[in-house]
Amino acid sequence: MENHLLEIKDLRVSYGSVHALWGVSLHVPEGSIVALVGANGAGKSTLLKTIAGMNRPQQGGVFFSGKNITGFTPEAVVNAGIALVPEGRRLFARLTVQENLELGGYTPRARPFVQESLERAYELFPRLQTKSNQLAGSLSGGEQQMLAIARSMMSKPTILMLDEPSLGLSPLVVKMMFELVEELNRKGMTILLVEQNIFQALKISHYAYVIKTGEIVLEGPGEQLLGDPEVQNAYLGTLE
Amino acid sequence: MLDYLTFGLLAQLFINGILFGTMYGLAAIGLSLIFGTMRIIFLSQGAVIILMAYCCYWLFTLFKIDPYLSIPIIGSAAVVLGAGLYQGLFRRAVKMEDKNITLLIAVGLMFLIENLMAVCWTPNPRSISTEYTSSSIPFFGLAISFTRLMGFVMAMLSTAGVTLFLKRTLIGKAVRAASEDIEAARLVGISPHWVNTIAFAIGIGLCGIAGIALSTTYPFDPYFGFIFSLKAMIALALGGLGSVSGALLGGIILGMLESWSSFFISGGWADAVGYGVFLLVLLFKPEGLLVRSVKKV
Repeated sequence: MENHLLEIKDLRVSYGSVHALWGVSLHVPEGSIVALVGANGAGKSTLLKTIAGMNRPQQGGVFFSGKNITGFTPEAVVNAGIALVPEGRRLFARLTVQENLELGGYTPRARPFVQESLERAYELFPRLQTKSNQLAGSLSGGEQQMLAIARSMMSKPTILMLDEPSLGLSPLVVKMMFELVEELNRKGMTILLVEQNIFQALKISHYAYVIKTGEIVLEGPGEQLLGDPEVQNAYLGTLE
Repeated sequence: MLDYLTFGLLAQLFINGILFGTMYGLAAIGLSLIFGTMRIIFLSQGAVIILMAYCCYWLFTLFKIDPYLSIPIIGSAAVVLGAGLYQGLFRRAVKMEDKNITLLIAVGLMFLIENLMAVCWTPNPRSISTEYTSSSIPFFGLAISFTRLMGFVMAMLSTAGVTLFLKRTLIGKAVRAASEDIEAARLVGISPHWVNTIAFAIGIGLCGIAGIALSTTYPFDPYFGFIFSLKAMIALALGGLGSVSGALLGGIILGMLESWSSFFISGGWADAVGYGVFLLVLLFKPEGLLVRSVKKV
């Protein structure tokens, strides 16, 4: 039996009368990179937001280390050890880089370790240390994404959820971002990755789910899905 | 022809404007904190200031407590009142999508406070007079009213205090973060109720300070508060949301505008000029006169 750190069971979410998720089930084994790919509006972000406690599901549940965390507030979810790097980064633009990081370690569980975590964040992202007193809004897109990731790492998560980390970044920075995700994973971080950049996401993930209009339509190891003719036709076009 | 227009007179107008403007500024800081974190247009701000002025008046007439000695009493009572107002009146409403509900609560609260004050203290104007309320300090040939100067000093000190709190403490940083993006703030673990309670406590705490300053400088009646709220909103429009010093500066600018226009045009025009500038700013620079546009992340 694999150790499922995060398990989503038959999750249904709707906004008013619009169904966003129709009974989605997936699991994230400890220490793995799991990718959730699909077109715009397929429900990827909704799923991450629901796990993070920002949406309430109508049905189904979210289980973290075997514990039911369905309906937790966002504050409780991050304190339990699930951190979300939201789409569009959502930094506190008028706060400094350092203040953004300090607030990343706001949860009761992470607060005693803020100094340690800060040092670790600056070690991982030396660029952020040189700009620690600048406003987050003045950083470049790539730096902002780094700060967003560093900020959620401050909460000492067991699992890191990334919502479209490559969005709006230049190709070179996108490449760096995926390398960073792999590096974090090598250091032991479990990662749930949502991406529109399907090729890259499948390449680095151990396991992946393809979501289409609120339902999982395909799943399998990342490499295998890359070779799947259906995936190639629907999402990748002709490769290279 | 304009030989009455001496330097001394202009300087006096200038100083009066600043001194009165700081009181608008204090009210504006509270409005800005409450609007920033909860998107509540807290129209009862002015009424609460008058309520605090009456408390100061009461402590003075009933218990012979000097207005400046009542600062710690009224200040801490106001902070508790602020936290209570949030928990009792706004905690549930603030979660609702429809922001009209919180506005209606604020308006209702304003009328309630105004009428309670009219019952308790009659609608007649009151003022506090001690041996120092009419004294003034000579300053390079100008006469600066002692109580207004004290009001100015109190406003400066409390603004500095609030600024330090927001910049230096973790909870202060959390309040700033929540004003920028409450969802992102919740994702790092900041509880909205805690942040909102703090914002309300500070906002109403500042009402306490403003109320004391007001009670020693001007006669006040129960219905003066609404105008005060409007003035604070103008100050906020001038200074821009999201900055404590901007709100104070906005208040000072408004105070000066009023003091100059009431002298150069006529007393009745002071309000008209204030509201006119309010509309112009909202039309042409709605983010605030003193705000450099920060690019959205």
